[in-house]
Amino acid sequence: MVKASGKRKQRIKWSKLYTFSCLNPRTTDNDAPNQQLLGQPGFSRVVFCNQPELHKIKPHKYPSNYVSTTKYNFMTFLPRALFEQFRRVANLYFLLGAALSIPKLAPFSPESMITPLVFVVGISMLKEAIEDWSRFLQDMDVNSRKVKVHSRNGYFVEKTWKELSVGDVVKNSDIEHRRIPASGKEPTIKGFNFRDDRLMDKMWIHGSNVHDMIMFFRVMALCHTGIPVEDGNSKRLKYEAESPEEITFLIAAQEFGFKFCQRTQSVMFLQELEPSSGIEVKREYKLLNLLEFNSARKRMSVIVSNEAGEIFLFCKGADNIIFDRLADNGRIYQQATTAHLSNYAEDGLRTMLFAYKKIEVVEYESWNTLFTKAKATVGTEREELLEHASEMIEKDLFLLGAVAVEDKLQKGVPQCIDKLAQAGLKLWLLTGDKRETAMNIGFACSLLRHDMKQFHLVLSKEAESSHQLKAVEEDILSQIRNSYQEIVKGNKKDAPSALIVDGKAMEVALRSEISNQFLQLAVMCDSVICCRVSPKQKALIARLVKEYTGKTTLAIGDGANDVGMIQEADIGVGISGMEGMQAVMASDFSLPQFYFLERLLIVHGHWCYKRISKMILYFIYKNVAFGLTLFYNEIYSNFSGDDLYDDWYMVLFNVLLTSLPVIALGVLEQDVSADVCLQFPALYQQGQRNICFSWKRIFGWILNATLSSVAIFTVTIYILSPAALRQDGKVADLAHIGTIMYTCVIWIVNCQIALIVTHFTWITHVLIWGSILCWYIFLVLYGMLLPEHSQGGFHILIEAIGTAPMYWIVTFLVVVVTLLPYFIFSIIQRSFYPMDDQVIQEIKYGRTDVSNKPMWLREQQNSRKRTQIGFSARVDAKIRHLKERLHRTKK
Amino acid sequence: MYQFTQQSLPACKPVLTPTSVISTLFLMGIFCIPIGLLSLHASLSVVEIVERYDSECVPHQFRLNKVAYIKDSLIPKNCSRYLKVPKYMKAPIYIYYQLDNYYQNHRRYVKSRSDKQLRYGLQYNDTRSCIPEESNDGLPIVPCGLISWSLFNDTHSFFRGTDELRINRKNIAWKSDRDHKFGKHVFPFNFQNGTLIGGAMLDPNVPLSDQEDLIVWMRTAALPSFRKLYGKIEEDLEANDVISIYLLNNYNTYSFGGRKKLVLSTASWLGGRNNFLGMAYIAIGSCLIVLALVFILLHVKNPRPYGDAMYVSWNWKGIPN
Repeated sequence: MVKASGKRKQRIKWSKLYTFSCLNPRTTDNDAPNQQLLGQPGFSRVVFCNQPELHKIKPHKYPSNYVSTTKYNFMTFLPRALFEQFRRVANLYFLLGAALSIPKLAPFSPESMITPLVFVVGISMLKEAIEDWSRFLQDMDVNSRKVKVHSRNGYFVEKTWKELSVGDVVKNSDIEHRRIPASGKEPTIKGFNFRDDRLMDKMWIHGSNVHDMIMFFRVMALCHTGIPVEDGNSKRLKYEAESPEEITFLIAAQEFGFKFCQRTQSVMFLQELEPSSGIEVKREYKLLNLLEFNSARKRMSVIVSNEAGEIFLFCKGADNIIFDRLADNGRIYQQATTAHLSNYAEDGLRTMLFAYKKIEVVEYESWNTLFTKAKATVGTEREELLEHASEMIEKDLFLLGAVAVEDKLQKGVPQCIDKLAQAGLKLWLLTGDKRETAMNIGFACSLLRHDMKQFHLVLSKEAESSHQLKAVEEDILSQIRNSYQEIVKGNKKDAPSALIVDGKAMEVALRSEISNQFLQLAVMCDSVICCRVSPKQKALIARLVKEYTGKTTLAIGDGANDVGMIQEADIGVGISGMEGMQAVMASDFSLPQFYFLERLLIVHGHWCYKRISKMILYFIYKNVAFGLTLFYNEIYSNFSGDDLYDDWYMVLFNVLLTSLPVIALGVLEQDVSADVCLQFPALYQQGQRNICFSWKRIFGWILNATLSSVAIFTVTIYILSPAALRQDGKVADLAHIGTIMYTCVIWIVNCQIALIVTHFTWITHVLIWGSILCWYIFLVLYGMLLPEHSQGGFHILIEAIGTAPMYWIVTFLVVVVTLLPYFIFSIIQRSFYPMDDQVIQEIKYGRTDVSNKPMWLREQQNSRKRTQIGFSARVDAKIRHLKERLHRTKK
Repeated sequence: MYQFTQQSLPACKPVLTPTSVISTLFLMGIFCIPIGLLSLHASLSVVEIVERYDSECVPHQFRLNKVAYIKDSLIPKNCSRYLKVPKYMKAPIYIYYQLDNYYQNHRRYVKSRSDKQLRYGLQYNDTRSCIPEESNDGLPIVPCGLISWSLFNDTHSFFRGTDELRINRKNIAWKSDRDHKFGKHVFPFNFQNGTLIGGAMLDPNVPLSDQEDLIVWMRTAALPSFRKLYGKIEEDLEANDVISIYLLNNYNTYSFGGRKKLVLSTASWLGGRNNFLGMAYIAIGSCLIVLALVFILLHVKNPRPYGDAMYVSWNWKGIPN
């Protein structure tokens, strides 16, 4: 915890550097900054563009661009690293222990206490040093990256990043696009992933409604704001446009034979397929007017005239808008289109309708004067006039059909979300996008479905305009209450619910008075989508959810605006490679792709949970089992503080003889393999239910350790005392009994871990059995030292105990006796109360008959938690829907 | 390395199946019982005679004040005991003295010695660990410390009828102790010259490496009840032989309620007489077999089919997921 908060502090510092957020709050506090303070920390800077030399001298000297993320340098390493180490309670505790071992009264020799401490601290410091070194190398890499800097008269010279100074003008060579529509595997045209042979092979030109088809494609190819870009050697063109779906339309039109190839100020050139001849001809269309898209209009139109002088209006827009503006004879395809629309929407696609109309020249002329006038108007009524003009011409349309665009998320995102939902995670989508986009994304990744009950939290117009906080709060509160009532009343299983919150509403809802009610509602909903949220709000939401639910939160994001949220959540994950490095630098984990989250959580998260809980419990076991034997000995040594074991045995216990198998357990243990984890995401819930690290388990292990220690101690002393140890009549003394008992401890502790481990790699074997072997090797070597050093251990194995059959027989007996209770317990647990992973393990590894393949699949099916989000849930919903329909038609 | 970093090292995943569990239990049981029988047999073949003499050797008039008796050097400490050999005892027969309630493992006692002085003698003079028995009248004590100071000093001699049984008192200490821990050229010096006499005197003309009683005594025992080898009788004793023991009851265990015993014992390949080991083996072996049988019964009566999917949590009925 100490470390985490320290790290967090550091992170915040850096994030401020990246986002310059350290500048923001103060400037708002102080609206008119003092002239003298300008350029000082916390105030706005004066920057002389393209005059970097002015920044080399005061008062406008700013720090250089040299980046250093290292924690230490050569001078500070030792003191700082030591300070960091001894800030940890455990290390401090052991330091105290070591200090106490120096006075004479201590039962242990100072070496035996100081050596392990030095060892542990040394290893941690070495790790710190190596990490810092790699950070240094990373900085070097960043600092020495090249960039073109303007010197003068349009000439650019190359400079490294660290040489840049404030005022430099640089040439940015790689512009990053926000949402590059990635395609599937085939076909490999970017932004286009469509298969329909009738369209692709241009078979439609023989159909009956060729004319409408042509018009459909013309709308696609002409009604947009894009421009074509040469694409090197390819015959196909690439496009740039305001929105990704326009690019998609243009690419698709190109594929269907309507290539938009040039745009001048007023003319658009189209290379289109002549259906009668099948050859492509180049046509030009004069662009007369463009009625722009905006979120209120939800449509866009262009008015063009073709080579023959005919004037057309091409329009695309949202379904309800277009349906309202159709001519009576323009509704031929309405029924079919409606059906398509609902299908597309069901599949999470973004839909749009295409329509057109032919305009008589006279009609156009009169309208155009009105429109031009409206456009020329300056003032408040301009919008209104334009709106009015548009309304006049965008009517009596002829519906051509619908298009659907898939919001192509990153590869594997829907599958990943599906898996995460099955793993019992609750997903919140926080985005800065507007509500429509956010909902589309929600549909695309199955967070939203059409059969979900949607609750929208939006500020009403009146409340917004009233500017009174009280009224706004009342408004939101009543919305929250109503939604909550509705959920509570309805049966949750049958009617999944989604909460969609707008940024402005969110701002109110996150106020401390309302936030509890808001979170109460949000937690009830199956999915929550927050749109138009600011970075600050993202962080606030993450914090409030964490605090309110008390659950572990994970935030994943790719942009600088996610940094706050990533830092706030328990686990922060940054996606690298999309929008710069800020998110990655602030995160605990960085992933190149969103869908790797699935593996990170469901495979590695599950493994790690199992590993860490097993490891800690085992650690408790081994130290309790070992330590208690020392205490029992006190009963027999008049509580004088005598130690049964040689100091060096005790030093080596946690350093060498039992530490390595724990590492193997913590690094290599897998209860089930990675593919099984992925097939059964429900296994992840073992962690959420915390079945492996409950108090019951902790006390169970302490009990087991206590039993073990009692068994070790009593069996050893009852057998070895007071009769002779060997055939030559010699008896065992303190050193012998201590060594024999310690041998038993080493065997038991290492065999116990062999019973815990379920995944034996060669490393595990080497470390477990090697540890035991190590003990004997140590004993031989220790016995070879001069007696001043080895004391009781001198020649102990070779001369005294190793040659006594009693030693080996006792060891075996103690191992069997001690491990038996745990063994029996684990058999009973496994036979009668098996855990999920154990059954799956059995099915997977035990059953060899192929006939059980269906059962394997069935179990995968069964394990799917009835989720309300994710595409499996969508498929389920669809099946349910179809069944119902079938049922109804039967009737 | 790649497999390691990718967590895909080949591994064996032993699954505890009923068959493997039951056979493991059986095999272990079958393995343990013979070991137990062998151990028990070895232990039972050992003949052991234990004779407590600490109170019997105090004359009647001193029974109420044993400490006064033992502290009074004028009172002769001779004592004789008679033992009847219950069974034929084959040589070598080991003679031990056993002390009970004697905390030789007390921390202050255990540390009160100087291993370096024992080995190098007076050359080595850092004997702080021996305090308070490190010097007397300004001269160092060799061997120093409480352990050697409290050296056991009862002596025993054995007669069968009128013949004295020869007792071999050589090689009763570990060879490594004699060769490496106790100096061949280190002689007792200024030993037991103080006002408080603890235990035995040492012959100042015999090097420590040959003072085997001292070497044995210096091997501190782990428990408050312990035996130390005194010597070996190297002739067989027949059943019903009566052994008379003449001993000097010098050692003061009375002031702290300690008990003194004399033990005659043969030894098997497993050492002295100790039935516990064999019994424990037999018990645990039987336990394992019984458990195996119980598990067979349970498995037959109430089997959980191996890998039965009904036991996975998502198939539990009535338990909401």
